[in-house]
Amino acid sequence: MPPKSSSFGAGARAGTSSSGGGLPALSSDDMCPVCKTIRYLNKDMEFLIHPDCYHSMCSNCVNRLFNDGPNQCPYAGCHKTLRRKGFRAPFFGDLSVEREVDIRRRVAAVFNQVEDDFETLLDYNNYLQMVEDLTFELVHGTDQKRQQAEAQLQAWEAEHKADIERNRRAGREADDLQRRRIAAERDAARQRRIEAIKEAEEEKRERVRSREAELDSMQTGEAGGGGGGGQRVQLKRRGQVNKNTADAAANMIQDKNAAAAAGADGLGVGRLSIRGLKEKKRPPPPEGPYDPFGGLDFIPSRYTLEPKGTLNHPALDHWRLDQGHITGGYSFDEYISRAMFDAFAGLGVFIEDEKELGGQTGLSAGQVATIGGGIGAVGDKMELDAS
Amino acid sequence: MATEDARYRLSSQYRLWSFSPSQLASMREKSNALARASISQRLSSPGYHPPAASSLSTSSLNLSAPTSSTNTPDPEAHPSGTPSGPPPLPEFLTPAEELVVVTFYTSELLRAADHAQFSDEIKATSAAFFRRFYVTNSIMTYPPQEMLIVALFFGCKAEGAFMRITDFIKTFGREHPEEILAGEFLLCQGIRFAFDVKHPFRALRGAMMELRRMGIPGEELDKVERRAKEILRFSPLITDAYFHYTPSQIMLAAMSLADRGMAEKLITHTFHHTTSKNTDGDGGDTPGNGGTNGGNTGNARGRNMEETIGAQIRDKVLGAIESCREMLAKEMPERREHWTNKQVFKAHVQPIRKKLNKCKDPDRWNLVELQRARREQALKRADSEEREDGGGGTGTIDDDGAVFGDVAPQRDPKRRKVVAKGLEDPFGGPL
Repeated sequence: MPPKSSSFGAGARAGTSSSGGGLPALSSDDMCPVCKTIRYLNKDMEFLIHPDCYHSMCSNCVNRLFNDGPNQCPYAGCHKTLRRKGFRAPFFGDLSVEREVDIRRRVAAVFNQVEDDFETLLDYNNYLQMVEDLTFELVHGTDQKRQQAEAQLQAWEAEHKADIERNRRAGREADDLQRRRIAAERDAARQRRIEAIKEAEEEKRERVRSREAELDSMQTGEAGGGGGGGQRVQLKRRGQVNKNTADAAANMIQDKNAAAAAGADGLGVGRLSIRGLKEKKRPPPPEGPYDPFGGLDFIPSRYTLEPKGTLNHPALDHWRLDQGHITGGYSFDEYISRAMFDAFAGLGVFIEDEKELGGQTGLSAGQVATIGGGIGAVGDKMELDAS
Repeated sequence: MATEDARYRLSSQYRLWSFSPSQLASMREKSNALARASISQRLSSPGYHPPAASSLSTSSLNLSAPTSSTNTPDPEAHPSGTPSGPPPLPEFLTPAEELVVVTFYTSELLRAADHAQFSDEIKATSAAFFRRFYVTNSIMTYPPQEMLIVALFFGCKAEGAFMRITDFIKTFGREHPEEILAGEFLLCQGIRFAFDVKHPFRALRGAMMELRRMGIPGEELDKVERRAKEILRFSPLITDAYFHYTPSQIMLAAMSLADRGMAEKLITHTFHHTTSKNTDGDGGDTPGNGGTNGGNTGNARGRNMEETIGAQIRDKVLGAIESCREMLAKEMPERREHWTNKQVFKAHVQPIRKKLNKCKDPDRWNLVELQRARREQALKRADSEEREDGGGGTGTIDDDGAVFGDVAPQRDPKRRKVVAKGLEDPFGGPL
């Protein structure tokens, strides 16, 4: 629980000024309000605060007072019991800012709904307004109001623990994603730079080589033609290199565009436009791997093919010796399984019952007849189209 | 539910070509009624004259009426006192009569396949195609004598035996490949492009394997298998068994016709699960570990087993096989001769055929002419000519429109197509 707003920053300052007496204004940065050590004596003096009361004191005092366990805040009138563990160096010079930032951080951790959780923008804005009011009361409100706000905050936290946790995780994932994207971009950039350097080196080497070739050809006598050839070769290579770089540039631009698009997506989560708190959508159950047979089960239920070799037919023996079948990789097990399937498939299909019911599988007789009649007649046209 | 059944339910045979008896009957009635309506409409349409009675003066007659005299109703058949207007309508076949003709031609198909020495699968597939085709098309609309050959030709293709069309027509004594090719696409449409027909032949092999594993002596099994196969080659093909039962049921029915005890032994062995007994104990047909949908608790697994191989379903299967057996028993292989018997033919088939000759569809009967007309019409359309000269094909389309309820005369073929096809039906709506 933060202390009274009047008691901390102002109190600290009052302490220093009163103890400083007539000394030229000693800022709180220069003297520890507890032990009165001044920076002049201890160059490495570091001030720590505890987020319970925001009373600053030097690290020596903290060690001295709290090493042996919890102790009362040494400030006069402050009865907070502090622990060594809670002390930290303030980030902001102004401790009231430090405190406000802490409070805002805490509120933000609890009220972590994002725009997508709301149905309308108005709802989201109302929500933001509510959160801001609460924060203001926590930071600047009177004692009573602050307590009230604190109670509200805790109630909300207790009530929506699961949601908060979920949002927090989602936020963290988004952050992770962003971080990874940035890292990947950086990687790509580095890769490009290395490639560019390599290319430049390659080009340089190429130039040297072609120059040598030119010299060689001049040496062997066919000066004019050889020189021209070398030139051409070089020009051609350069052209190629240029083209390569152009390609690379195009790729780079594409990458950048993609990255930008992705970035926009990432930002979209945090953008300020909203709808009212949506009905929580349950994540769809995992679909599992794609099944090309639409859930058909191929394990036979009326017969078994195991153990192998127990099923046979004398008519097959002849074919087992047939060269044409063996060399073709014909599987007799395949034939056996098919024959067994044929023998038992549809045993439990009672066409009369099922088709009379019609419904999901069959057309009614009338429909079929109409269709049939239609085909015969439509035939005229279809055939016309074909011919 | 048994995984095998679930897989069978995905087949086109189950989805498109399995019906209950009443459904099948109503479909046959419906295609009969449709054919009646369209043929009577065509016969009485002013554009139609029996070619033998009137001279071939207009080009439309050339297209609409087949040139061969066998393809048109015999004008002498009509009562002589008819006025010069549209001739009176002939007597149409009833659905029952149609079924007799289809069955007769199915036996003809099997005979033709025997003649060409096709394999069992080709025979069975062709027969199934033929019968399926005439479920949704009346025998009065398309000529069965032609469709039979077409079904055989396409059956060869569907079973992966690709004959040359020239060899094929030689086998069946035809002169032109067009006679067969003309009906090929028509057949494909008629069978709704369901080319895969599931047969009980391989199933019989599988059942024999299982019985052999059960330790039944081989000689006995061989005898049963031979007889069952003989039955399978004929009985289910000539009856409606393929529409009403699954291949495994047909196979078991045939087996029970060959040896009732053997089939029942296999069924009781397969559906051996009893709630009181521990099923894994006898190491029977059930896969050892969690084969059924991963039921974790023993209770759920037991219930699953009960559903898959329990006593209740066993009785149901036995019932289905019994009714299938009754159906097959009507057409045992010994009846093969029945259909080729001269006396039977004269007594039962010939009168219907005579009737058929009078009431067949004048526009559709000759497949070659039909295809030629359609081609010409397509060409005409491609040239975007005026269709006033009224080819036979045009007449066909318009007649269809009138017959199938699309009465509004829509001349624009494209719009017509959109309207007629509809969006929800991939095969095209009724015309």
